[in-house]
Amino acid sequence: MDSRVITITSGKGGVGKTTTTANLGTALAMQGKKVAVVDADIGLRNLDAILGLENRIVYDLVDVVEGQCRLRQALIKDKRLPELYLLPAAQTRDKNAVDSIQMEQLCQQLRQEFDFVVIDSPAGIEQGFRNAIVGADEIVIVANPEMASVRDADRIIGLVEAAGKSEPRLILNRLRAEMVKRGDMLDVADVLEVLGIDLLGIIPEDEAIIIATNKGEPAVHDKRSKAGHAFFNTAQRLLGEEIPLNEVEESPSLLERLRRLVGFGPAPTEKRIRSQSS
Amino acid sequence: MGVFQFRIGRKNPTPGELAKERLKVLLVHDRLKLNPAQLEIIRQEILEVVSRRLAIDEEQVQVSLTNADGAEMLYANMPIRREKVKFEWDPPSGNYHAYVLEPDSQDDEEQK
Repeated sequence: MDSRVITITSGKGGVGKTTTTANLGTALAMQGKKVAVVDADIGLRNLDAILGLENRIVYDLVDVVEGQCRLRQALIKDKRLPELYLLPAAQTRDKNAVDSIQMEQLCQQLRQEFDFVVIDSPAGIEQGFRNAIVGADEIVIVANPEMASVRDADRIIGLVEAAGKSEPRLILNRLRAEMVKRGDMLDVADVLEVLGIDLLGIIPEDEAIIIATNKGEPAVHDKRSKAGHAFFNTAQRLLGEEIPLNEVEESPSLLERLRRLVGFGPAPTEKRIRSQSS
Repeated sequence: MGVFQFRIGRKNPTPGELAKERLKVLLVHDRLKLNPAQLEIIRQEILEVVSRRLAIDEEQVQVSLTNADGAEMLYANMPIRREKVKFEWDPPSGNYHAYVLEPDSQDDEEQK
């Protein structure tokens, strides 16, 4: 079977890379895929805590790369999903403990065992980021609808291109529909226009994420939560399902603009033409 | 076409629109790796070339970068000085070289 290595990255820190990695990995495993989530944020490990696996770590990614243990010894099985495994980051080392060649080899090894390898990239554009993307088939950029995050996302798009990877896709995280409606926040169409890449998912801002993190159970386990539902749909799209991008339903005008972007739906009204030219 | 275009019928841009316009300008600078000093050099050079033919109001010249329809754009607003436009009553003299304007030609000197 062809396995896929997907790296979740963002440039800016704190936009939700680790949360996205945990939720997409979990959602893919819920769909019956064999999934490894890899924490490539060496020195600042967090993916273990979001998955609630922090007490089970014996070996980590650096141990595997340095040959201190076998890959299977370092992989931690998820509490709930038998097909989901975590490869944790080292906490006592730094980002330069691993090089690109070692990471590429590690990805190759993981491909033998898993359908999906989802890599959580560290923030920044240094060696850690390069390591995270070197073995990836696909790059997913997480951004929030705000200046600094979109700016950094644009920088990452350039670097991904320069690395010879296929065009990354975007997950717009922490969107606040009521703020977009008031005109107080960048909306989905704005961000897509500025960045010029395809959209994979929209995740609304949701307290359920904080609650889920506190419990150590990714929000996607509870599909009634807005964010959990949105992450589930995003994972479905990764699997090639055509799920309409309607995660943020509070704002119909947003939906209309999205339909227009995707290329179907009602003909543009005067209002939309105006906002298009703005 | 101005750099800052906002929805018709609205006095002030919303914070969301402002963010979008600021981002467009910011990203063009980032992508082209152009800092304000380099843009100033470009401004000077454009001014130099255009001033050979037209009297440009140097202080009003604005050169800026933005993104329009997915392409990076350089905007140069160069107002032409009214009072400097010389009205020639006399038909051109037999001197055909006068038609070829050169940067250091006499014509230029006269205008200054």
